Amino acid sequence: MTARAVARWQAAAPYAVGLVAALGVLAVLVAALGGDAPAAVGSLVRASLGSAAGFGQTLNKTAPLLFGSVAVILGLRAGAFNIGVDGQIYAGAVAATGVAFLAAGLPKLLAVPAVLVAGAAGGALLGAVPGLLRARAGVSEIFVTVMLNFIALFFVEYLSTGPWNDPMAGEAITRAVPPSTTLPLLGVRVGAHAGVLLALAAALAVWWLLYRTVFGYEVRAVGDNPTAARLGGIPVGRTVALALVASGALAGLAGAVEVSGFHYRLILGLSPGYGVMSILIAVLSRRHPLVAIVASLGFAALVVGTDSLQRSVGLPASAVFVVQAAVLLVLLASEGLRRAP
Amino acid sequence: MSWELLLDPSLVRLAVSMAVPLALASAGELLMERAGLLNVAIEGIVTLAAAGAFLGAFASGSAGVGLVVGAAAGAAVSRLLAHYAVAWRRDQVTVGLTLYVLCVGLASLLYRMVVGVRLTPPRVETLPPVPLPWLGDLPLVGDILFRQHALVYAAAAVVGALHGFLFHTSLGLRLRAAGENPVAADTVGVDVFGLRAWAALAGGALVGLAGAALPFTLTGTFTEGIAGGRGWIALMLVIFGRWTPLGAAAGALLFAYVEAFQFKLALLSKAVPPQFLQMLPYAFAILVLVRAYRGAEAPEALGKPYDREART
Repeated sequence: MTARAVARWQAAAPYAVGLVAALGVLAVLVAALGGDAPAAVGSLVRASLGSAAGFGQTLNKTAPLLFGSVAVILGLRAGAFNIGVDGQIYAGAVAATGVAFLAAGLPKLLAVPAVLVAGAAGGALLGAVPGLLRARAGVSEIFVTVMLNFIALFFVEYLSTGPWNDPMAGEAITRAVPPSTTLPLLGVRVGAHAGVLLALAAALAVWWLLYRTVFGYEVRAVGDNPTAARLGGIPVGRTVALALVASGALAGLAGAVEVSGFHYRLILGLSPGYGVMSILIAVLSRRHPLVAIVASLGFAALVVGTDSLQRSVGLPASAVFVVQAAVLLVLLASEGLRRAP
Repeated sequence: MSWELLLDPSLVRLAVSMAVPLALASAGELLMERAGLLNVAIEGIVTLAAAGAFLGAFASGSAGVGLVVGAAAGAAVSRLLAHYAVAWRRDQVTVGLTLYVLCVGLASLLYRMVVGVRLTPPRVETLPPVPLPWLGDLPLVGDILFRQHALVYAAAAVVGALHGFLFHTSLGLRLRAAGENPVAADTVGVDVFGLRAWAALAGGALVGLAGAALPFTLTGTFTEGIAGGRGWIALMLVIFGRWTPLGAAAGALLFAYVEAFQFKLALLSKAVPPQFLQMLPYAFAILVLVRAYRGAEAPEALGKPYDREART
């Protein structure tokens, strides 16, 4: 092997360790519940990747995770932690649902783009708040985005139990959006909707933005060294603010896609922690939008697989967070051990 | 609406009780930050400690056991964070967010594994009020301040002790030096690594205690969203209080007051949907943040890993 190939294998090694860690933690949890660990791991893989329908579900989960993780990546590249992806997903979902109700009479070719644009705008609006506050008042975006998560969640609770509530459902669920506003399916047998293709396009667009445009160069410059960027004449505050707005728009698209592709309505539990998972994926991908495609797919498979174990061995849904965080902790530890004296 | 409502004794009394988790968590965070460690996992630690405390009390029947379990969980997670940050020099925000996710997942996982799915959630006893002799009999003030549960007094003692420790002992001075300028501190023989590790243990235990206080002072139950942003708000209170224990505690009282006020308002008013009232503390937090950041100066080395061999 050439030195380069060795280096590439060394770079990939931690991911293998992470995968082993994920399966190991899962096996321990299943065993603790009195289940058959090896069989559970097998059924997890089958349920998420081994069948057409399962793979379709994995693709459907990949869509919001990929949108969310490239949103986080765009923020991170500008040196901003967008912890508000969940809130922005909800803001996007609210705007998308509202526009979908209004667009009932429009042909699909107009209605679907309108819904998507609304979702992006909703998310961008929520991203603009931390962006402006950071640029103007130096307020840490971490706090503002977290607080907005709570505010957005309460707003969705209000809409889904109040004015938009579906009285037949009796839960925090709104009426269904008109069929003319929903995303097409990729194939009936697979059951995946077109959202994953949009997310893929978004990941490519973020890559292009970061590495092929002046704005992307400025974003990376600001994120790597704000002082040098400022001395180089880059408007640091404005760049960070715009990055957060764009980040919010990407997360908002995730919300729109969840409404128009998957749930066909706004529900209170629309985002089962996509935002926090997106942060983990962004770190795991080393802030690279193309790596995030693979990582999102992996995390989505984990979500779908654990979901199936919930039904078969009673593994609680929250196990997926433990497994995902453990993967990252193992990776961070392996990095730390390699560099430790 | 009359102004008397704003100063209603039962409202102020509730606010004092609700300030306890905020005051304890911000005290713990402050101790860590003064040593140079940023603990962004705080919301997760509060949640995990609440679950641990609830389960400890649920299994043993004793609130004391629950409090110890909660504090131990907080100390353990924070110590782990410190190991990543200090020994392995990983980015503290990244590690903190990862641990946040781990703790939130672990909290509900443990609860579900032990308690399972039930129609009515099990309860533990909430802490009874402990009237202080003499002080408790004072008019008005006695009822608001001195007929509270034991954790109110404990939190007040912690804040006072932390102030004394940080600003009036030589160990406190050394700890602050480790957070301001670790190179200079190390040069004169301060054990930067050791101090950061101990700050993580002690600060983490306080954050854990804050989480443990939640099931025993709110409803006696554990829910996944029990922390409700209190960890994040505590993190913010440290900035609000300019990294001083007394300032952070004052902020805790202010926020607890807004929270309690929102409760009262929800009971009185039917015109405004409750969700909008529930948004109040969070919206208030954003407004306060803008002011708090004006001229705020964090410990110089906060969040930066200390590398003895690095060129500066």
